[in-house]
Amino acid sequence: MLSECFIASTLTSGKAPASASLRDVGICLQEFQPAPALRSTFKKSSTAANCLAVSPSHVFAAQSEKAIVHVYSREKGNQEAIVPFPERIRSLAVAGGRNGDILVLGTEGGRLILWETCTGRQVATTASHLQPVTSLVVDRASNFIVSGSSDASVHVWSLASILSFIKPPSGRDRQQPNSPIRTFSNHRAAITSIALGHSAGRYNIAVSTAKDSTAVAWDYHTGRVLRTFLLPSSATCVTLDPVDRAFYVGYEDGSVQGIEFYKNQSAQHPLHDPSLQSTPVQPSAADRWLPPSSDTGAVESLALSYDGTILLTGQRNGKVLSWNVARRKYATIVADYTHPVTNLSMLPLNGLPHPPLELTRIAHTIIKPRYDQALSESSVNPGAVPADYAFQTRLLPSSKDTPKPKTKTDPFSEALSHAFFPDSMMEEGLAELAALNQGQQQQSPSTVHSTQALEDTTAKDTQITALEAELSTLKKKATASETARQTTTDEVTKLRSDLIHLQGYINELHQKQEQTQREKVQRQARKEKREMKRRDAWFAAEKKGRNGDAVVKKMDLDDGAQTSDSDDQSSE
Amino acid sequence: MATMSLRAVTHRLTTTPVQQLPPIASFLATSLSDCGELLSAPQNQKTGKSDSDNAIQIHKLKTRLGSLLQDRSFEGRWTGVVLVKATVEAGQWEVLRGCEPLVRSLIAILAKQDPVTTKKMCIITLTRIFHLTYQYPTLVREITTPSLPGFITSILNLVSVKPSSEPIRKLRPSTPFLEIALHVILELIARHPTTFRPFSAQIHSLLQAIIGSTSPTYPKPVMELAQRLFISLHNCAPKNAAGDEWRNANLLTISSIHRTSDYVFRSIIEQWESVDPNLRQAAAPQDYTQEVGDDGPDPLGLSGWRGIHSGVDRILALLRLLSTFFSTPTASAVSIPVGQILDLTSRLTSVIVPNESGGVQANSQISREERESLWTELPRIHAACMKLLVSAMNALETGTMSVAQTILEQATWVFRAEKFSRKVRVSMYNLVRSLLPIVGPSMTKQAVSSLTDLFQTCCVDLLPPADDTNPSAGSSTDAKGKSKANQVAVNADSFLNSGKQVRQVKQGPLFPELKRAASELLPIILTYVPTELLVPSLRGEIDRKIILTADKNAMISSVLNPLPAARGRGAGSSIIPFLARSYADEMEVEGLIRPRMPVLMSTPDLNGNVVVDEDEDEDEDMSVSAYQPTTQSTGFLRTSPPSAALSSQTTSVETFQTSTPAPSLNKRVYEEPTPQAPVAQPAEKKEDAQVKRARFEDDTIAAPTKPSLAKESPATFTGTAAIPVEQSSVTTTSTPQSVQTAAPFPKPVPATTPVKISAANETEESDDEMPTLNMEPDTDDDDDEEMDG
Repeated sequence: MLSECFIASTLTSGKAPASASLRDVGICLQEFQPAPALRSTFKKSSTAANCLAVSPSHVFAAQSEKAIVHVYSREKGNQEAIVPFPERIRSLAVAGGRNGDILVLGTEGGRLILWETCTGRQVATTASHLQPVTSLVVDRASNFIVSGSSDASVHVWSLASILSFIKPPSGRDRQQPNSPIRTFSNHRAAITSIALGHSAGRYNIAVSTAKDSTAVAWDYHTGRVLRTFLLPSSATCVTLDPVDRAFYVGYEDGSVQGIEFYKNQSAQHPLHDPSLQSTPVQPSAADRWLPPSSDTGAVESLALSYDGTILLTGQRNGKVLSWNVARRKYATIVADYTHPVTNLSMLPLNGLPHPPLELTRIAHTIIKPRYDQALSESSVNPGAVPADYAFQTRLLPSSKDTPKPKTKTDPFSEALSHAFFPDSMMEEGLAELAALNQGQQQQSPSTVHSTQALEDTTAKDTQITALEAELSTLKKKATASETARQTTTDEVTKLRSDLIHLQGYINELHQKQEQTQREKVQRQARKEKREMKRRDAWFAAEKKGRNGDAVVKKMDLDDGAQTSDSDDQSSE
Repeated sequence: MATMSLRAVTHRLTTTPVQQLPPIASFLATSLSDCGELLSAPQNQKTGKSDSDNAIQIHKLKTRLGSLLQDRSFEGRWTGVVLVKATVEAGQWEVLRGCEPLVRSLIAILAKQDPVTTKKMCIITLTRIFHLTYQYPTLVREITTPSLPGFITSILNLVSVKPSSEPIRKLRPSTPFLEIALHVILELIARHPTTFRPFSAQIHSLLQAIIGSTSPTYPKPVMELAQRLFISLHNCAPKNAAGDEWRNANLLTISSIHRTSDYVFRSIIEQWESVDPNLRQAAAPQDYTQEVGDDGPDPLGLSGWRGIHSGVDRILALLRLLSTFFSTPTASAVSIPVGQILDLTSRLTSVIVPNESGGVQANSQISREERESLWTELPRIHAACMKLLVSAMNALETGTMSVAQTILEQATWVFRAEKFSRKVRVSMYNLVRSLLPIVGPSMTKQAVSSLTDLFQTCCVDLLPPADDTNPSAGSSTDAKGKSKANQVAVNADSFLNSGKQVRQVKQGPLFPELKRAASELLPIILTYVPTELLVPSLRGEIDRKIILTADKNAMISSVLNPLPAARGRGAGSSIIPFLARSYADEMEVEGLIRPRMPVLMSTPDLNGNVVVDEDEDEDEDMSVSAYQPTTQSTGFLRTSPPSAALSSQTTSVETFQTSTPAPSLNKRVYEEPTPQAPVAQPAEKKEDAQVKRARFEDDTIAAPTKPSLAKESPATFTGTAAIPVEQSSVTTTSTPQSVQTAAPFPKPVPATTPVKISAANETEESDDEMPTLNMEPDTDDDDDEEMDG
């Protein structure tokens, strides 16, 4: 959904805010369309006019009466840093196009300080203003800075040449480096506010207002006055229509006036019509758009809505009023911040694609100014970029940086976001499948293999490696089995020899057994013989009548000796 | 209808034999993606009969797809992959939440023996599924996180072999999947850094091999992808180290280039001195007897190289890698070492091809051959350097403001010596194109004149001079070379038919890149370089080329930035007639010539039509130039205003007091009626009652004052007539103008306002004509001034 927001900052006054949510609050992020609502707040800040600067990632607020700048992170919604400076800061502006990573500070002493928030480098200019720099604007293309001062002069500075490491040679020089390239001194009193046109080209305009009740439209590329406007009273702030058709000023009494550049049917752009340039224009006081009541106080700040049809004013009494540009009158109160609303800064619409504003990088944190010598001036080789000059940022994926490769040679991304697959890829696949089929229909699996191998070398490769691996394992297995076989045969032969050996042993044992058998038989036979002999001897003795027993005893004694002998023999 | 086609699809899908599915796959996929509404409709709220029927069809479709993916035939799997992609795209979340089994079988296909396209499509489908699930954390948890590691492994296996347990992989030679694999990893790595973390070392080893390849280099798209992926690897670093990782890789690349150039530049003695004290140490001693080369791994871990051509190839690859750092999104805030990069380019650009008189200190230990081959390689290096600077500028935009001047000096230094090289010229045009918007508008005359040579070469490149009678105008070598070659032929042919010869010149080889770069540079020159600082002859040349090439953008920018009228010449010339003739139908041209912008607010009461002629700009410029001679006078005005104002105040007071109100009215009327006019107009159109009433009042007041108005209109004429007079001479200017500046006097204002309001209605017409009347005196007085000057 589209919504439009602005950031307003206030100058702390003695009054206490009505609502508790606004206590201590110095900067408010307020949605004003479609419905006014306070979105978020940043606390502890008190800024004078022209002392608020908003970049896509941060809010910078120069504190009034102090030499410090508060830095708030818009992402995190907190105070990120407090940066001290050597002088009081009277005005702030952000340069650097859509990224806004250069902060321009106008000091009390009349010089500008440029701070590259992504590198921490800080460059100061000459103190060309004699009095505090009260208003600062940077042109759309970030080429020029226009600064206004209380000393009634307006200086135009070249951003690129101030920041450049290489300074133009200052030989027969007219100017010292870092001085303004042009000075505009048509005003007679302190400059209150400056607004630049929205063109990036060479015919851009500046409108400056001063305390001498004049507003001058001029060309800051040449310093030429395009038109002088004699205002009914002194303007406090000025802003330009988005198409540069008119400008709006706010007055001390709280009223607002819209002054158009185009008034009559002219053959020329009225601002560039030389015949009108020297003639001042005097918008009438009755033409002013009056505030709803007289207690609104002076208009402190002005801002225009995106479509240029609603003008917002920050009033001294803390109210933010909206005015209908078409009807040229006050419309409604948008917000009430109690304290004087010194700065109003419109934010680009949320939810509207801004291709040129799309960020390609974002700085999450700022780098505080570094005061070390290395970055400021390298004495060794002047003009060289110091080695530790580094740029802190986050590169974001951008949709537009690669349109060329996408259309030309990136089938992948095309296929990725296609509803299924691009035709070329489908056809390729079909052709491949057809080729496979043909191969299959033609003949044996061997041709299939060959065609497949032809078109799919990798598959073949993997196959080969797989086969090789298999082969090696097989070989290993083979050798292993070989050795195993070897060992078994060895074993078998050994076993066989063992067997033979054992058989021999068995035979031997058999022989021994036979021998003992024979001996046993012999002994048996001997024994029987002796027995026979004894019996014969007994019988003989008996026959002879002698005591047989005695004979036997005698024989036994003899036998004892004999048997012992035989026993010995048998044991052998 | 959708229901029917869904039913038809499922029917055909189930009844057609698998072998015949591929030819109708495309048709089925188209029908499926047309049924997106049905497929993506939430299924839990099926109420009607048709809904449940749909649910059945969808279920059928899903089961069929699942079985197709696991089909035995190539055809079946191929069709399955195609239809899964179509279904997922059409069904989004409804299909995604149930696609886990599909994902598994898709990953399984990658390991099978499928044809190349099946695998490629399979990879793309999986990537798309992971892509689509990314926005649903639950699906990421259920589908992506579990299956992603398997997917990464199988992709890496397709392109490489992992020989050991170490996290190092070797590329397979000539795999058709390398490009797509890099694409996929690049696509997914930033979104799933933690899943990729275990693989980061393996991927890194692969990329080193690709980036470091010198002799058989990989095709350009693969190289680019590898470089981008190499840089994206920092995404995998643990939480807060990503920025450091990025910076480290960047610094290593820089020091790798330094090391390589140590070797490549060994045949000369370099004049360059680094701003970084760490780099000032002398380079490692080298063996001068060998051919130039580097053996060991350099800081980035790339392998060695040999031969000057390979060395330069390596430098180019690294420079390209360095440029890619600028175009690749980063995971967090990183610190870009701008200083060191510029130090590097200053080293590389400080060595230039010497002119005849020499100027480069040679290293006597090295042969002349090597030195000469270095000279021929130098333009390549320098073109790559400029590309690096362009990509830095594109990324940092206004952040490069501080170094823009440095870059410009480095580039012009190279250009002066090497503009013979077409590559250097192309990259120089591109570089200047991105530089001018930053430094152009605040350029000084010297800065512009140092670029004049470049601008002239650009003109020549855009359209080489056709006739070789003035080849001196074309300093480009190809023009010269051609004219030389022709001179041989000229002897015979030029006398016969010179018309043919002109055609011959045009028939040379075409360099579309050079033409494109040149034609894109021209409008930038016209827009950003202050017009008055361009030499008129150069501006004439540019306009001539623009007309001859009929480049619309350049023509418009020429018209929008007209040549300031020079003294002694008439009105500033413009090429707008050519623009109007060639592009009368284009909207820009129409808007330029016949503007119809509602000049004032979107209020019906304020839309006065102002015919702003295109002459406007020129006139204005005329006035610029007219004023320039008399800046003294304006300066005088500016410096002496206090006294002038004082005197004028007194005079005006006097006139007011002494004269009748009529003369003071005249001055007032001259500027006042116009602001009132718009207020009066609305009354006719708008319902604004208030205004109407005001008008009535006006009328009533107007009635009595009418006579005075009648007197006034002639008076205004005298007033306008006075203006040229006051501009024509310095002396007269001071008084009338100061009267007008003093006019804000508060007192007379209220007295005159009512009269003026009434005057508004009546004097409108006469006022309208005034400007046209002014036109003539305008130019007259310009002439007068010129005479004066």
